[in-house]
Amino acid sequence: MSRPDVSALLEAFRADLAAAGDPEALEQVRRTHTGKASPLKAALKGLRDVPAEERPQVAAALNAAQATVEAELEAARLRAEEAALEARVAEEWQDLSMPGLAAPRGMRHPVSQVEAICLQTMRRLGFQLVEGPEVESAFYNFDALNIPEHHPARDMQDTFWVDGGLLLRSHTTTVQARVLEKHPPLPIKVVSAGRVYRNEAVDATHLAMFHQFEGIWVDRGLTFADLKGTLAFVARALFGADRRVRFKPKFYPYTEPSVGVDVSCGVCGGSGCDACHGAGWVTILGAGMVHPKVFTTFGYDPAEVSGIAFGFGTTRLAAQWTGITKVRSLYEPDLRTLTRLHRGA
Amino acid sequence: MRTSLDVLRRFVDLPADPAAARVLLDEVGLEVKRIDPDRPGVPVTLELLANRGDHHGHVGLAREVAGRTGGDVREPRCLDLVVGEGTHPVQVQTPLCPVYALTELRRTAEVGLDAEARALLEACGLKPVHPVVDATNVANLELGQPTHAFDADTLVGPVTVRLSRAGERAWPLFAPEPVDVPEGTVVIADDEKILALAGVIGCEESKTTAATTRILLEAAAFDPVAVRKASRALDVHTDSSARFERGADFTLPLRGAGRVAALLSAGWAVHGTTSLHASWADPARLVPFEPAACRAFLAVDEDDASLWARLGRYGFVREGAGVRVPAHRLWDVEHPADLYEEIAKSIGYDATPTTLPAIDMGAVPSHAEQVWDTAAEVLVGAGFYEVVTDGFHGRQLVEQLGFGEGHPLHAHVETANALDRAYSLLKNETLGQALEGVALNVRMKHDEIKAFERTRTFHPDPGAPNGVCTERTVLWAIAAGHERPRTWAGAAREIDAHLLAGLVDELALALRVPFAVSTAPGTHPLQSALHPGRQALVRQGDRVVGIVGEVHPAVVARFRLKRVRPVYLEIDGDALLAEPVRAVFAEPPRVPPVERDLAFTLPRGVEAAALCAALEAGAPDWLRRVAVTDLYAHVQDGAPVRTLTVTLTWANDEGDRTAEALNAATEQAAQAALAALGPRGVTLRA
Repeated sequence: MSRPDVSALLEAFRADLAAAGDPEALEQVRRTHTGKASPLKAALKGLRDVPAEERPQVAAALNAAQATVEAELEAARLRAEEAALEARVAEEWQDLSMPGLAAPRGMRHPVSQVEAICLQTMRRLGFQLVEGPEVESAFYNFDALNIPEHHPARDMQDTFWVDGGLLLRSHTTTVQARVLEKHPPLPIKVVSAGRVYRNEAVDATHLAMFHQFEGIWVDRGLTFADLKGTLAFVARALFGADRRVRFKPKFYPYTEPSVGVDVSCGVCGGSGCDACHGAGWVTILGAGMVHPKVFTTFGYDPAEVSGIAFGFGTTRLAAQWTGITKVRSLYEPDLRTLTRLHRGA
Repeated sequence: MRTSLDVLRRFVDLPADPAAARVLLDEVGLEVKRIDPDRPGVPVTLELLANRGDHHGHVGLAREVAGRTGGDVREPRCLDLVVGEGTHPVQVQTPLCPVYALTELRRTAEVGLDAEARALLEACGLKPVHPVVDATNVANLELGQPTHAFDADTLVGPVTVRLSRAGERAWPLFAPEPVDVPEGTVVIADDEKILALAGVIGCEESKTTAATTRILLEAAAFDPVAVRKASRALDVHTDSSARFERGADFTLPLRGAGRVAALLSAGWAVHGTTSLHASWADPARLVPFEPAACRAFLAVDEDDASLWARLGRYGFVREGAGVRVPAHRLWDVEHPADLYEEIAKSIGYDATPTTLPAIDMGAVPSHAEQVWDTAAEVLVGAGFYEVVTDGFHGRQLVEQLGFGEGHPLHAHVETANALDRAYSLLKNETLGQALEGVALNVRMKHDEIKAFERTRTFHPDPGAPNGVCTERTVLWAIAAGHERPRTWAGAAREIDAHLLAGLVDELALALRVPFAVSTAPGTHPLQSALHPGRQALVRQGDRVVGIVGEVHPAVVARFRLKRVRPVYLEIDGDALLAEPVRAVFAEPPRVPPVERDLAFTLPRGVEAAALCAALEAGAPDWLRRVAVTDLYAHVQDGAPVRTLTVTLTWANDEGDRTAEALNAATEQAAQAALAALGPRGVTLRA
C-alpha cells in the first residue's frame, strides 16, 4: 500500500473548515474529518498495510494530523460559540433607560417615621413605650399634673370636652400620670407617643389634633445634671452630633424646674436666619424635673425620688425634617404629598 | 409683651450689644421672640412664662435679670399717698377683693405725660389716649399693678365692690352696647350702674374723658380665679385681666396709685386722703431651703453663702432654715424645688453641670410595637402609603355612609365644645375618612390610591371604666385604581377586593396569626356600607375580627366618587396582637412534588373555597395543597359560569409515586368534589 497523503488530508480538512459558517456546518466538518468513515480514520486503519519499516513514521504523521484536526476543530468551535454569543447579545439589547418595573413600595407616614427614630433613640437609654387612652378625665390631664381648675396653664391647652365630663387628652403626659399611679418598680423609664387634641380654629398651621412624644424617668437620686445630660443626648441623637444645645427656663405645671431645649439652627448653623427668626436657635423640646406635687399626688415622697420628664411635638419634628411648612397637609390623606415626599415631585 | 431694650435699661442694666442682651433675656426665661437691633431703642417682643404675673411689668422683668446678673433694680418714682378716710365712700362686700384703694385727683392744668412715659407707651405698642388713661397704662407696664380711673362726677353714691346680681348688665369700654353680666361676677358699682368689671375692664358710663376734671383712681387686687372666670365669660381679655389671673401682688396697689399720681403730677393733684380697704394678711410663707439638698439636686458646687445670696437677689429673705417668699412670688413659690429653679436660673441653666446618661442595656420593642411595624411593612411593601386622619368626624359623614338611626354605628361620643362642626363627633369607624381621602385624591386626578392607617375609634359604652366609651385600635386599608401604576409594559389589573383579601393572607403570614377571609354568615357593623356581593368577613377562629370588600355603589355615589370603585379592609387591632403561632419547620423533600390540574365549571353562587374544601376532603392524605390557578368566566346554556383550573399538588417525598397512583388519587378527589357539589351544578371539564 502506498503511504497516505497526510498533507492532502489536512488540506481537504482545512478547506471544509474554512467553508463552515455556523455550528451545524462545523459539526458536519467534525463528522466528515474525524468520524469512523473519515479519510483520516481510514488511513489509520490502513497502517497495517504500510511496510513495517515505514509504519512508525506514517503512524506518527497520521497521529499528528489527527491532533491538528481536533485542535483546529476545537478552536473553530470556540470561535463559533463566541460569535454566536456575540450575535445573541447584540440581538438581546434592552433599553434600560426605560423606567424600572419593580412593584413600587409605599411609605410610612412622616410622623410614624419620626416616632420610630425617637423610639429607637429612647430605647438605647432603656425606655419602654407605653400607651394610654385618648379620652381622659380631667384628673389625669390636668389635676394630677398640677394644673388645677382655672389655672392659666389650662389656657395653654384649649380642651375638647366630651360626653360625661371627660376630655380628649391635650398632651401625652396623661400616660406618665397613669404610669406613676401604678407604682412600677424603680427605675421607671417610659415614653409615650400618640395623638393629642387642642380645641383650636383649624388652618394651615393650626391643628385640632397632632402628635406628641413624651418620656419620664423616675429613680432615686436623679439630678438636674442627669436631666441636662439625657436631653443633650436625645437632642444630638435626633438632630446630629454637631448641633449645639442650650437650656433655658420655661414653665410647665408638672415640672420644676422646667426647661426648654434649643439646638443650634440647622439652616444657618447658629448665626441667625429667617428660619430661626434671627435667634440662631430652634426650640425642640420642653422638659423638667418632675414637680413635687405630681409625686405627692401619686403617693411618692419627693424627698426620696426624683424624676426627669420631657416631651416634644412629633408633628413639628416631622414638618421640620420634611420641609413641610403647612402642617395641616401632614394630616390630609392627599397621596400627592406623600408620594412627593417619597419619590420626589 | 412688647417693649424695647432702651426702656428695659431704665430698670436694670443690660449688655450694650443687642445680641448679648438677647442671650441674657433668653437665659433668664424672658424669651425673645423678636428683636430689631437696627431700629431706635431696639424693640423686642418677649414671651412671658404663663405662671409669672410679676413679669407683666418692667420691674418684674428687671428683677429676673438682676437675679442673674446681680445688678440693681431701679424702681420708678411714686408719690407716697396718705391713707385715711378718703374723699368718696367705699364699700367692699366680697372677699374676692382683698385690697381696694381709692384716691381722688383733681385736674390743675392741661398737661400730658412727659416724653419718657410716652416713649414707654410707644415701645410697648400703646398709643396715647388721655393723660389719665395713659398714666394708668404706664404704671401697669412699669410696676405690673393695674389701676383704673373713674370720672368722679359720673358716680352716684358710694363705690361698692360686690358680686353682680341676676340680670345685671354693664357697658364695657369699647363694647358697642351693654352686655349681660353673669351672676356672681365681681363688679365695681355705684348706686345706679356697674362702673367696672373687677380686674378686667372699666365701663363706658364712668370713663374718663377730655372734660373730666375729677377722677377717682382705683388700685386694687382681685382674686385670680374670679378675674379669670369673668374674663372668659365675657370674652374680654385685657392686660389687667392677664395680670390678675396670674396672681396679684397684694402689697402693690398703693404704690401703683402713687405711681399714677406721680406721672400725672404736672396736671393733676391728689385731693384728700386715700381710702384703703385691705382684708389681706401677708401669709409670711416660709419655704424650707437646705443648701446641701440644693447642691445635690442641681449637682452644683456652690457654698452656702453663695446660694443664700442668689436667693436674696430675687427678693427671698432668709429666715431660719428657709426663706420668706416676697409678696410678688406668693403665687408660684411653694416648694424647695421652686427655690432650686431660682438658683439654677441665677447660675444659668447652661452653666450648671451635665451628666451624660449611663450606659444601659437598652430596651427591646414590645410585642405590640413589633406587630404594628410588621403589619405596616406588609402594607408598605404592597405599595400602600400610611396616612393619619383626625380623631373626629362630622354628622354629615355618618349620613353619607348611610348609618341612620338604629344602625350600630349611629351612636357616637360627642364633643361638647368643638369650635368646628367637623369635630362634633369622635369617630367610631374609619371607612368614612378613608373615602374622603379617596375623594380628595380623585379630585386631584390622583386615581391610583393605596392608603392605610392604624388608628383608634371611640364607641359609646356606659359600662366602660370611664363610664363613657371604649377605644378600639383598628388597622384599615383602602385601595382604588390599578394594582400597579401604569407602566410602558402594559396596563395592570384593576384593583378589586381580591387584592385586600390577599393582604389579609400576607398579614396572617407575617404576623403568624390565623386570619381567614370568610363568606360564612356573620355580622360586622360595616356590612351595609360594602357591596353585598363583594364582601367577606375576616375571622380569627370563630371570631369576626374584620371585614373586606368593595364599597357599596350607593355609598360611593354619596361621596361623589366617579371613575373608581374603592375596596376597603379593616381588622381589629387586638386580633393583630393575638399570640403568634410558632412556625414548625419541616425539611423540604429531596424530590420535587408532582401536580395534576383539574378544571371545574361552577355556576354563580358556588364559591371556589367550597370546591377546594371538597377536593381536600375527598383526596388521600398525601395531597399537599389545592390552588386555583386559572379562571375563565363565560356563559354556558345562557347562564354565567366560571371555569376554574385547580392545581393539586401531591407529596412525592420518596419519589416512588407512580403515574397510575397519582392519576387515581386525582380522580378520587375529583369524584369526591363532584359528589359534594354536583347537586349544585358543578361539573368537571374534560
